[in-house]
Amino acid sequence: MKDDYLWDKSGQPDPEIQKLEEILGTLRYQPRPLELPVPRRRSYFPLLAIAASVLLALLAAGVWLRVRNQSAPQPQEAKVVSTPSPVEEKKPEQIVPKVVPQEVIAVNHKHRHRPAPTALSKREREEALLAKQQLMMALRLTTEKLSLVHRKPQNTTPANQIKNQHRVG
Amino acid sequence: MKALFRINLILSLLVALPLVVQAQDSRLQLGSLDHLAAKANQTVDVNVDERLMKMASKLFNEKDVDERQVKKLIEGLKGIYVRSFEFETEGQYSAADLQTIRTQLRGPGWTRLVNVTSKKEGNLEVYLLFNGDLVGGLAVLHSDPKEITVVNIVGPVDLDKLASLEGQFGVPELGIEKTKKNDEK
Repeated sequence: MKDDYLWDKSGQPDPEIQKLEEILGTLRYQPRPLELPVPRRRSYFPLLAIAASVLLALLAAGVWLRVRNQSAPQPQEAKVVSTPSPVEEKKPEQIVPKVVPQEVIAVNHKHRHRPAPTALSKREREEALLAKQQLMMALRLTTEKLSLVHRKPQNTTPANQIKNQHRVG
Repeated sequence: MKALFRINLILSLLVALPLVVQAQDSRLQLGSLDHLAAKANQTVDVNVDERLMKMASKLFNEKDVDERQVKKLIEGLKGIYVRSFEFETEGQYSAADLQTIRTQLRGPGWTRLVNVTSKKEGNLEVYLLFNGDLVGGLAVLHSDPKEITVVNIVGPVDLDKLASLEGQFGVPELGIEKTKKNDEK
């Protein structure tokens, strides 16, 4: 057997050597341009995403605190409290018809957010009665205060000042 | 990552939107006056929200002319809130207490209609909140040396209807003139 094929690929090729050539040929040197590493561009999206998440959390906390403050300290109540005084009261009936010392006239602690049915249950009726009482008290007080506006122009004295003003702010 | 950022942005806007809407609400925060209750000789504290108002309106008798008028007045209102404190002596509240309320009334939309100053009857300010041409709320701030009262009506207040309550249920005569528009009706 001549070894010419192994030396310069001349002569009779050996099939076993040819098979080896095919297998190892894939690992043959192949010329290609040099690939230099590209500097990685810094992405700001993670930072922005974190900042947005923090902002979202802060807003949610703010909303939650606001809702909590609105509902907790003001439990939908109306009350008139009078403290006994050593001096005789001059005009206790001006705001409410009956003022009993240290008595809460109307309190509604059982406020629940749910749609009112058409027919009121006993409990809801009681609640509605209290609300009506509070409503009338509020309207009475409002109109009483507004009546001062009407009275003042009639009783204008040099000591009084009446100013009709336009939009503020 | 971009999708996450966009979702966060949208959620942030959705959360912020109610805050912006709430800023235009005519409800005043009256909690800053609550500390005066301890010093007051007499306190009136009324908190009637929309739900309670609707419930109360069911109890007004439609056949009774007077009650029907009150029912019409409160229709559409979203709340009535009152804080009133009467003191035994002068100087129990500070100017800062009033200022916290006035600061809120300097917000957009609020208009001071009347400011009455009297040595005898104190200072009275009436504010209306306008949403365009519509009235969206009323605030009355009355103060004298021994008393401070804040009334806040949230919602479309009809002053003509309010005037129609004069002399009813102990409501004093106001002499509020009805508008020509309503007289024509």
